[in-house]
Amino acid sequence: MRYDSITEAIGNTPLVRIDPAVHGLRTIDLYAKLEMLNPFGSVKDRAAWSMAEPLLAEAVEQGSQVVELSSGNTAKALAVIAGMHGLGFKSVTNRMRVPEIKDLLLLLGAEIEELPGQSECLDPTATDDPLTLFHRTLSASGSAYLHTDQYFNARNTEAHLTGTGPEIVKDLDGRVPDWFVACVGTAGSSTGVARALREEDPSVRVVGLVAAKSDFIPGIRTIDEVQEVGLFDPETYDTMESVSADEAIEGMLTLNRRCGILGGPTGGAAYFGAVRHLRALEEESQERRTAVFIVCDRVESYLSYVRQRRPDLLGRPPRQNSPADLSDAEVGEAPSVTVAEARRWIETDRPLVVDLRSSYAYAALHIDGSVNIVDELFAELVRGGLPFSRRQPVLLACPVGEQSARYAALLTRMGHPDVRSLAGGIIAWRDAGAPLVRD
Amino acid sequence: MDGRPLYLEPRLEPRLRSLVAAQNTLHSLTDGLGSPLHVVVPDQIAENLERFRSVYRAHHLSGQVFYAHKANRSSALLRRLAATDAGVDVASLGELQHALGAGFGAGRITATGPKNPEFLWLAARTGVTVSVDAVAELDQLATLVRKHALAPVRVLLRLSGFETTGVKVLSRRSRFGTPVGELELLLEAAERHADAVDPAGVAFHLDTTSVAEKATALEGSLAALELCRSRGLRPRAVDIGGGFGISYLAEREHWEAYTTGLTEAVLGRRPPLTWGGHGYGLRNESGTLRGTLGLYPAHRSVAGAAYLDELLAQPAASLGGRPLAALLLEHLYDLHTEPGRALLDQCGLTLARVLEVRAQDTGGELLVRLAAKADDIALEDHGVLMDPVVIPRGGAGPGGGPVAVHLFGSLCLETDLITRRTVFLPRRPEPGDLLAFANTAGYAMDFHATRAQHQPAARKVAAWQDGDAWRWCLDDQFWPITPLRGAQ
Repeated sequence: MRYDSITEAIGNTPLVRIDPAVHGLRTIDLYAKLEMLNPFGSVKDRAAWSMAEPLLAEAVEQGSQVVELSSGNTAKALAVIAGMHGLGFKSVTNRMRVPEIKDLLLLLGAEIEELPGQSECLDPTATDDPLTLFHRTLSASGSAYLHTDQYFNARNTEAHLTGTGPEIVKDLDGRVPDWFVACVGTAGSSTGVARALREEDPSVRVVGLVAAKSDFIPGIRTIDEVQEVGLFDPETYDTMESVSADEAIEGMLTLNRRCGILGGPTGGAAYFGAVRHLRALEEESQERRTAVFIVCDRVESYLSYVRQRRPDLLGRPPRQNSPADLSDAEVGEAPSVTVAEARRWIETDRPLVVDLRSSYAYAALHIDGSVNIVDELFAELVRGGLPFSRRQPVLLACPVGEQSARYAALLTRMGHPDVRSLAGGIIAWRDAGAPLVRD
Repeated sequence: MDGRPLYLEPRLEPRLRSLVAAQNTLHSLTDGLGSPLHVVVPDQIAENLERFRSVYRAHHLSGQVFYAHKANRSSALLRRLAATDAGVDVASLGELQHALGAGFGAGRITATGPKNPEFLWLAARTGVTVSVDAVAELDQLATLVRKHALAPVRVLLRLSGFETTGVKVLSRRSRFGTPVGELELLLEAAERHADAVDPAGVAFHLDTTSVAEKATALEGSLAALELCRSRGLRPRAVDIGGGFGISYLAEREHWEAYTTGLTEAVLGRRPPLTWGGHGYGLRNESGTLRGTLGLYPAHRSVAGAAYLDELLAQPAASLGGRPLAALLLEHLYDLHTEPGRALLDQCGLTLARVLEVRAQDTGGELLVRLAAKADDIALEDHGVLMDPVVIPRGGAGPGGGPVAVHLFGSLCLETDLITRRTVFLPRRPEPGDLLAFANTAGYAMDFHATRAQHQPAARKVAAWQDGDAWRWCLDDQFWPITPLRGAQ
């Protein structure tokens, strides 16, 4: 395969059979359409290119900025496409809740604007919601925007009508699957593929998956949110079902660990929803049938999403010399000194004073002559052993004397003979009228 | 009615639940004092304060919790708070007088909002902290202090328009505060008036439910305080305002089912759920839902003190990613908060008597008229949707199962609707029954109340538990030492 441009690599993604030993369906062959293997990483590459391409020449001429309401994959694809053509890209959203995606977009040169939260005190005179204002700004005459408008743009659906759908039929040797299962975000892929399949064989059954209402699954809308999508037509789906975030992650784990498909939670939701739906229907016929679901994107962008919901999946082995290992009794017995004692001690024995606060707080005000080792760094430091000579007395200080007591106990346990914690911390120091400097 | 009733059952914590169950007491109260009637529960506000304090303690933070007075005019609630270590945030001359009269020392009061000269003078005269909106107000305050030979006044510099790097947050523009970009001008003014004002820190208040926006502002405030320090000032505090919210409903499922039902109704897929097909901000544009739901998020997984806790745990990207609470602590700053609504969670209810229950010729919802005006029970004005509790006049009353009703007020106006939505009640109310609207103490009691058409505004009583019994007095008669309050 040789291409002149990366955009030529969009589409023609593989259709991979899921091992029946994994999904446990006896009479149904389940296939994953791996949209995650598109060059920018998701099913949205097709829609982004389909929507942007015809407008690019004019946009380049006018120096327009590409704008889209997107929290993730469409923004990513558009940011790349805009960048390749020397255009800026701006994403406006109120749902970008996955930090890696935010960072990636910034890396790609995107500008991100977050819509404000709801007003805590209802303002009955507020006539326009932020989205309406956004659309008004875009349509204002003279503004140079290329607005791809993914929730309403027919070219979003068309990309799948002419691409994704026919590809599935081709890879099934000209047959249409009995079921097509898709998560609903912009409704572009599900609508486009469903239409393409039905044109070949109207008996295909289409399952739309939405997120459970109180849950958040990136890339999927809830049953109410889909109503805000212009491309959404309830008639497209033979049935709509909801998937919870936990179920999406379960499905994702199965794809990742047992199928070697490194898809993200949306693909996981599609897999989970597909198997759940099909299992109930398996008994109705003994003949072999086929189902296809879409793996929308890749797992790498969702690690913090997983960490938040299933920290157990990212468990790490216990660390050495961690203050977390100390018992309350050990912390309680940590050697400490009052502010008055500390001042005398500093005068007589010149202990090394270590301030564990952040560098910003330290820079603002600190005990004269102290050194700043931020607690996070200090934790790393002691993991390898004592960071001070045993002959050097040490006074540890933190805001209220809590962390410093932990570290004093830890260092004592590690064998330091004279490390003490400043009781009451820098706050007690200040309250006692002892000098703090800013040098 | 279409399918199952869409209940929005109020969340009742033990104290309010017990009050709602004291049916004879509530009937005898309205018999004696009329309908509508507000009942406040002062002991609850002290408990709510304690929840905020425990968040402060968990983060080792010092500073003050200032009750935002404007949320309720009650003397009883204010006096009960005066007996705790809370502060009060006052937004008018009247509120300042009220707070001083309730027993708050000047050190526990901050004056915020738009100020007239009298308000500013009394604040300066008594030595309360003034949250200063702009250079002009600082000039005005300094002039007052010099002219009347007053002691220097502690001020907080109120800021707005915080900006982020990387991701731009499109916060609503605020009428209040000085844009953070103009802080230097404000500091120059503070230095010019060093004889008359003592800048104790900075303040902000954002009207948003978004934790991210508030975190941005708090991070911006830390940067502003650093600028103060670099100019030789010694700021000590940051006031982050309020807006921590209440979760009004008992069940998340109720809220989800209702909002989905409303969406379907707006799209014409089920019969209207509101009087006249009102969409609460949603509209149908050729089959697609447009607009934004203009309702208070009545069920929230995180509200009140828990919201503050979540805010304080947010990392500050420009300050090494440390949590905001840790940064406040490390910088030795006091944290001031100004919760109004959240401190009033579960602090009272509003009673209204049913005057008339009328069936329509066409069937459908019952029309229920109450002895109250919509502005006496201003839940709808604040977008809060929550069912009233039916308190029957005698025993259980007639059964008959769930009914759908529209609740109207007593004004001779088409618009006097207590609720614009169809309310589902578990049983048909009868004339003489009371409807108890729970959790109305925050903004829904007297913020909007009028005496239009010579109809009375609701009276207010304070109630407290004495063993198994509920005792009460007129709101104005309540003091923390009022006889019969618990063990004497």
